[in-house]
Amino acid sequence: MNAAVSNGGRRWLWLTFWILVLFLYAPLVILLIFSFNDRELVSFPWQGFTFRWYHTFLANDILLGTLRTSLKVATGAAIVTTILSIPASIALVRRQFFAKGLASGVLLAPLVIPLVVLGTALLILFNLVGIPASPVTIAIGHIVIALPFAILTLVPRLERIPVALEEASRDLGAGWFITFRQITFPLLLPALFSAFLVSFVISFDEVVVASFVAGDNVTFPIYLYSQLRLPRQLPQVIAVAVVILLISAIVVIVAEAGRRVSDRHLEAEIAVNEEEVSLS
Amino acid sequence: MATEAVAPTDPLEPDTSRRRAGSGRWKVTGGLLATPMVWVVVFFVVPVIMVGLYSVGAITLLRNDHYMSLEGWRFFISSDTYLSLFWKSARMSLGVSISAVLLAYPVAYLIALVSGKRKYTLLLVIIVPFLTSYLLRVLAWRIILGEGGIANTFLQTIGVIDEPLKWLFNSQFAIYLVLSYVWVPFVALPIFVSLETMDHHLLEASSDLGASRMRTFWSVTLPLSLPGVAAAFIFVFIPTLGEYITPQLVGGPGGFMFGSAIQSAFTAGLDWQFGSAMAMFLIFAVAILLAVFGRFLYVKSVRE
Repeated sequence: MNAAVSNGGRRWLWLTFWILVLFLYAPLVILLIFSFNDRELVSFPWQGFTFRWYHTFLANDILLGTLRTSLKVATGAAIVTTILSIPASIALVRRQFFAKGLASGVLLAPLVIPLVVLGTALLILFNLVGIPASPVTIAIGHIVIALPFAILTLVPRLERIPVALEEASRDLGAGWFITFRQITFPLLLPALFSAFLVSFVISFDEVVVASFVAGDNVTFPIYLYSQLRLPRQLPQVIAVAVVILLISAIVVIVAEAGRRVSDRHLEAEIAVNEEEVSLS
Repeated sequence: MATEAVAPTDPLEPDTSRRRAGSGRWKVTGGLLATPMVWVVVFFVVPVIMVGLYSVGAITLLRNDHYMSLEGWRFFISSDTYLSLFWKSARMSLGVSISAVLLAYPVAYLIALVSGKRKYTLLLVIIVPFLTSYLLRVLAWRIILGEGGIANTFLQTIGVIDEPLKWLFNSQFAIYLVLSYVWVPFVALPIFVSLETMDHHLLEASSDLGASRMRTFWSVTLPLSLPGVAAAFIFVFIPTLGEYITPQLVGGPGGFMFGSAIQSAFTAGLDWQFGSAMAMFLIFAVAILLAVFGRFLYVKSVRE
């Protein structure tokens, strides 16, 4: 007998699951369908199938410019976030130290701050110190937001990498850098890739903090937000949106699949690495 | 996700540097932590302190700021409008967090305890929408709920209603629905983790001792998953307190929230001191919530 659920309960739970999936995905599918609707207003009635909006957005320089700004900001933010998250998560997983709770609290605190507060806080900081608004100021804010997510992506993977491997390397005379480069880094790589993607996605989608510190630098979410309030070119914006939606969904699924494969190989890899360590 | 945060404090994790002497250990730890900590302190902790200083006029940047004055706070506290906006936002956060948890719990339960080997695939199916654009998901709901939207058109076509339903769009209902929609995938994660990490033998033990499934759920499963539920709740409740984007886009005139007031004080209103007072008030509210519920964010597992 299954203690968690009866047969009737099981059917009921599966029904709930599929209703939730429908609830989660139907709006996205509707967005996809309407991106092909041949009508200026994004609503019923259906007036025929068209690729028009996809053509117009490819010719819209303002829109493409905002996409370029967002790509720049997100790439920069994701690179710095990933680099910062490596030493942070190694310290949190591998080291014992006084006030560790405080340190992890500070590093993870941006998880629980309303973004409107972070936006105002950075606006005051940049104005006070005299740093002009630029893609860099946007990226700075996004790194603060993404860092906890990157750390929480690396921590579970680091915990699964046996300390013994690093110790063996040290015992054989390798310095900390060689140990990191030869042992920890390669085993951490899949998680680093995930951390990069998560940070990229967070930055590419972020609108609140960006709108406070962007100045004249319009990112794609800021542009999208202004289009939603005063719709002028909404259909082509939706077309871009659909493209982004599909790309991000594919990237996430591929990354997750890759992470799982690499996790399954982790034990094997470790065994091989242990062998190499003992041979060298 | 929430529950993984704890792992760092696990005392069972051996220390790689145990061969090194006192001050050397500190140097290594300090070296590792220095850059990320400096980043978070400089671009997060210090700016938040500055908001506090700005709200009392210790920092002034605009011409209409009052040097060393509680004018911003006085204006905020004495006006019923802004305090009641805060409570409106708090009610919205509460409603959204509760409905997101209620929607996510049965599904997290199914994935963690019933679905067997496919559970990570199913979890991914639930989480993927969270990783797609926030604004796009809000936009999709405008197409569904709006005046000439799909919901009204559909209901009129099948003859359930004659007039378009007004409460579907530009309403509190729309705000609650869309925000719950946005947060459900994120909420499912910590609840799943708490159900997944609990000792599943306890369920068998409970049933061996003669408890019904209902009894097992209420006396064993639910209490053991409460830390995950609390973590999920707080992870939705706190960010939603300052939320103004979705209410503005789907809430109509009633979509002006506490976050909107802060945002407009800094942009249209150009009264940064008043805006800082409200932002600081929000930080205090968050700090109180974290003091009460924060421990749930640091529970590694609910085993034993």
